[in-house]
Amino acid sequence: MTAVCTFQGLLRGGRLVVLAVLLWLAPGAAASGQSLNQKPDTVSRSLPPDASLPVRLRRPAAARLSELRGQRDFRYVEVKSEQSDWSAFFAPFWRWLADVLDTPAGNFAWKYGFYAVLVAALVFAVLKILQVDITRAFGRAPRQAPLSFDTETEDLHGLDLDGLLAQAEAEHSYRLAVRLGYLQVLRQLSDKGLIRWQPDKTNHDYLYELPAGPLPEAFRELTRQFEYVWYGEQDDLTAADYERVRTTRQAFQRRLTPTRQAA
Amino acid sequence: MESTFPSSSELPENQPQPATEPAAVTPPAPEAAPVTPFAPRTDLSHLSRHADAIRQELGKVIVGQQALAELLLVALLADGHVLLEGVPGVAKTLTAKLLARTLSVPFSRLQFTPDLMPSDVLGTSVFRPNKAEFEFRPGPIFASVVLIDEINRAPAKTQSALFEVMEERQVTQDGTRYAMPAPFVVLATQNPIEQEGTYRLPEAQLDRFLFKLTVGYPSVDEEVAILQGHHAGFGGTPLEAVRAVVSAEDLQQLREQVRRQHVEPKLLEYIARLVGQTRAHKGLYLGASPRASLALLNGAKALAALRGRDFVTPEDVQYLAPMVLRHRIQLTPEREMEGGTPDDVVKQILQQIEVPR
Repeated sequence: MTAVCTFQGLLRGGRLVVLAVLLWLAPGAAASGQSLNQKPDTVSRSLPPDASLPVRLRRPAAARLSELRGQRDFRYVEVKSEQSDWSAFFAPFWRWLADVLDTPAGNFAWKYGFYAVLVAALVFAVLKILQVDITRAFGRAPRQAPLSFDTETEDLHGLDLDGLLAQAEAEHSYRLAVRLGYLQVLRQLSDKGLIRWQPDKTNHDYLYELPAGPLPEAFRELTRQFEYVWYGEQDDLTAADYERVRTTRQAFQRRLTPTRQAA
Repeated sequence: MESTFPSSSELPENQPQPATEPAAVTPPAPEAAPVTPFAPRTDLSHLSRHADAIRQELGKVIVGQQALAELLLVALLADGHVLLEGVPGVAKTLTAKLLARTLSVPFSRLQFTPDLMPSDVLGTSVFRPNKAEFEFRPGPIFASVVLIDEINRAPAKTQSALFEVMEERQVTQDGTRYAMPAPFVVLATQNPIEQEGTYRLPEAQLDRFLFKLTVGYPSVDEEVAILQGHHAGFGGTPLEAVRAVVSAEDLQQLREQVRRQHVEPKLLEYIARLVGQTRAHKGLYLGASPRASLALLNGAKALAALRGRDFVTPEDVQYLAPMVLRHRIQLTPEREMEGGTPDDVVKQILQQIEVPR
């Protein structure tokens, strides 16, 4: 038993010795390896020029040079910034503006002017969103899309209604006479400022424009007659029929006369 | 025979304002039967009597909406289809159903849904084993008055099925043509396009509607009357109270009378100019078709007849122009972004064209 223990102790001690020997040898082996790779130190000396061989200058071919010169990448031209005439024209203005803005007052104006423009843009955007027509604010007429074709607007005030009416009566064109007589009444109403003549208005629009009193009822009757005869295509109107229409119209026109005198 | 002019008391007192929304304006007072100034050319008393009867029946259930009722009558007389648009709960469907009940003609109702197929509307051919042949089974469209509820709930495929039947009054199936009964009227309702789960109707279909009527909310007084009626117990079976007062034959006669209305040639030009201007207006991407001109003409003739005249006036045309044109025109994106509406454009066009006189 004692012999076994002694043997194990020797074995453990031997391992330690081997390990110690290996550790001792390792740096030496590394150093010897390194020394194998390195060249031995030499003294650096410059060689004398070899005068036996002539120096041969190599130049690119002329065509190649010309080709390279033609390429954009090899144009080493310094671009000189030139002021255009337009910029030169405005240059004094910008200089003046810069001078002005460089002052305390200019700084103040620049700062608050910017905010003012911002607010104006905001207000404009809101008005556009709310669809407020601001064109009238500047005294302009509201925008209207132009017509795509010419409308044959009858110039009520340019027509010789009296002459045309007399002619229609003379020719016994009673339906046309009723129409011309009605237009005559409309013109009188317009001339007296009782209606606002507009080509797109209907007869009943004018009826609603008339001031309260006896005129609307009389005009309604006149309108009724005109519509029955004209829109109703009463081509077979007799002289007696027309006479009644004319009587009604003339009575209405007589009512208009005192209005003018009173005015 | 000596002719006489109509006196003021015999003739209408009020004329409608032009270009107004039917629900938003005081309805035009029904005109008394006029006496033509020289010689009565057309006896419109028959038409007037029937129109009054329909109005009376509708009035049993519907509170207010007189202008809407009148425009529905106009469409009926002008042989046109009507598209009723409005938010839910404004009696669109009820009005259409009631109008159908006043006519003693076959009535059919279709509830449009997203999964509806064309064959569900038109009908389909089924195989009969005993006869060893296909037989056409007509769909619900085969009726004289067809109420299509929520028409914009169905996609374009189903809408396309209506093109032929609405315009040509016939259905072609498997190479066979099936004619629709006369009269044939489609009354369609829809919610505004902004509502959830709806489709925009194809332009070709919109063009087939004589009118697009916007049904608005009732006034406060009208709503109070609705509440009073409901509170008093009315409303249990309101449809039962409405009787059929006009037959199919009557309606055909009345339509024939309307066709014979006088229209001054300059008024035809006026209609053409109005519609033509929609095709050149800067704010419009799509103008109205010649079918719109015909619709305006037929509508104006019917309106004039309902108001007791045998001739059309510019007021008739102006009054109907928004209802005829609003669904047939399309605004440019710019105009739409500016908040413009088709009615605004129609109003502008009316202001640009001279009234013939």
